[in-house]
Amino acid sequence: MIRALILTCGNPLRGDDGVGLQIAHSLAVGICDPDTEIYSQQQWTPELAEAISRADLAIFVDASVAVAPGEVRAQPVSPDSSATDSGMTHTCSPSGLLALAQLLYGRTPDRSYLVTVGGQSFDHSDQLSEIARRAVPVAKERIKALLAGVSFPREEANSRTASS
Amino acid sequence: MGKTITIDPVTRIEGHAKITLQTDNQGEVSAAYFHVTQFRGFEKFCEGRPFYEMPYIMERTCGICPVSHLLAAAKACDALLAVRVPPTAAKLRRILNLAQIIQSHALSFFYLSSPDLLLGMDSDPKDRNIFGVMKSKPELGRGGVQLRKFGQRVIETLAGKRIHPGWVVPGGVNAPLTQEKRDLILSWIPEVLEVTLKSLHWFKQNLENYREEIRTFANFPSLFMGLVTPDERVGYYDGKIRFTDSLGNIVADNLDPANYPEFLGEAVEPYTFTKFPYYKPMGYPEGMYRVGPLARLNLVDHCGTPLAQQEWVEFRSLERNAVLSSFHYHYARLIEILFCIEHIEEFLNEPDILSTHVRSTASLNNLEGVGASEAPRGTLIHHYRVDEQGLVIWANLIIATGHNNLAMNRGILQAARQFVRREKLTEGMLNRVEAVIRAFDPCLSCSTHAYGEMPLQIELRASDGALLDEIARTP
Repeated sequence: MIRALILTCGNPLRGDDGVGLQIAHSLAVGICDPDTEIYSQQQWTPELAEAISRADLAIFVDASVAVAPGEVRAQPVSPDSSATDSGMTHTCSPSGLLALAQLLYGRTPDRSYLVTVGGQSFDHSDQLSEIARRAVPVAKERIKALLAGVSFPREEANSRTASS
Repeated sequence: MGKTITIDPVTRIEGHAKITLQTDNQGEVSAAYFHVTQFRGFEKFCEGRPFYEMPYIMERTCGICPVSHLLAAAKACDALLAVRVPPTAAKLRRILNLAQIIQSHALSFFYLSSPDLLLGMDSDPKDRNIFGVMKSKPELGRGGVQLRKFGQRVIETLAGKRIHPGWVVPGGVNAPLTQEKRDLILSWIPEVLEVTLKSLHWFKQNLENYREEIRTFANFPSLFMGLVTPDERVGYYDGKIRFTDSLGNIVADNLDPANYPEFLGEAVEPYTFTKFPYYKPMGYPEGMYRVGPLARLNLVDHCGTPLAQQEWVEFRSLERNAVLSSFHYHYARLIEILFCIEHIEEFLNEPDILSTHVRSTASLNNLEGVGASEAPRGTLIHHYRVDEQGLVIWANLIIATGHNNLAMNRGILQAARQFVRREKLTEGMLNRVEAVIRAFDPCLSCSTHAYGEMPLQIELRASDGALLDEIARTP
């Protein structure tokens, strides 16, 4: 079994879209727990369902345009089979992957969270914007709290920005 | 009155395309066109770049088969350097290529085509996807996931990344294989062998259900082309080019890929961005040929690994001569997965596979270089010219999918004549025409593939443009 699985995705050549990968890189240096695995990919694909099914805790980390630039949001996610209906084969949503894990392997993690970081610029660049860069340590703290057993509710109250 | 039917976009393929069907005054389909509606331009925008960047620029052509472009580009650069790649490096490149073929074939068979095969061509398109397969037959879905994961993990273990890896460099690879990594990959093999054999067994058991599709899916005589090694096996990494005909006769053999302009012509048509390569001695379009899994298994007299050899014998017994139905690309893909797994195991057990001599170095020695290898979908050719400073001044790529372009167009016409009735269009008709294309597994571009997300529409129009019938698939 995997105690915790951290799954980050993004394109490091599209500015803030790569913030998840930056967070993964930063976490990889600081987390020494052999039962915590970090997967960094450009996209989440169905192949991840198998590893997800073996984890007690899954933390998905991604950039977002749905929250304010620099804002870090952590919220629980649940399996949603309707999220698999689109038939996407190159990329999957966290809830779709959880549903796949349940469907194919009969198990999902006890706890699953999606940590999103609001991006400012998704143009061609291998650099994060200043506001996204400042959000990296905030997201790391959120993830470490989740690893330590802290739970976050679904409400927006758990959102924080780098400047708050 | 003649009419035009448009299928736009074609779904469950790699990239963007549409199909136009033209009917004649009697309502019979008289012409079919496969339009590739996107333009990439890699040959043009690499001009001015140093040649040693080419492997990493060119692999960005594709997110599914970047390793193929990485290898073909590196081999073209090997030719520019005029180096001999160390034997161990060549073997490591071969393993990488085999892993790439496995993961790409798994994507094609299990993710893109198994919904048609398992759920039926006429099943509800909302369920006709990999997730529908997983619900209906979870063990098949798990098998697809496992095989794709295996291919990707081998690529990642060797080259550091699953998509757009480095590691392969002009002259070899930039790091040797460690014993730990070799043992790790070897430990995965028994399980994926078992999964592949089970999938093959399931597919063969169900072949009878697709008799009509086998008969009409691009089932016609053509030439077949691919790389063949000196010991008469498919040359997945290198070899000489062979052409055979539908009777299994060798039409041309031992052709140096570097001399491709002597035997391959490249025609263009105004309705698509994809070129139409053809076998020059037969002219255009008579010089139509097919490449990829079906062609490769037709080109040789033996497969080369124990389990794949057994399956190859059974496959070739489908017909007296060459296997002609493009529906059997699916079958051939599964046999190639089996072969690739066995061949990876063979290479990993070779005594020199852990050698640290994995790169040859040299300065620029030639101003022109050609690299060719077998990509999952067929023979891939990269051709570069550089100036004295090593800056690229000209490039030409012949992509595997392009080789099949003439055959795909003809296959669409054959299937449309069989399945499309102008009086009433159905989603099942549409899907069968698309499924012909899917059998070839064209890789037009992987940048924005998202089946089920885009509306699919067929319009039946009179020659004056009036809309006579229309069906639409909504996401």
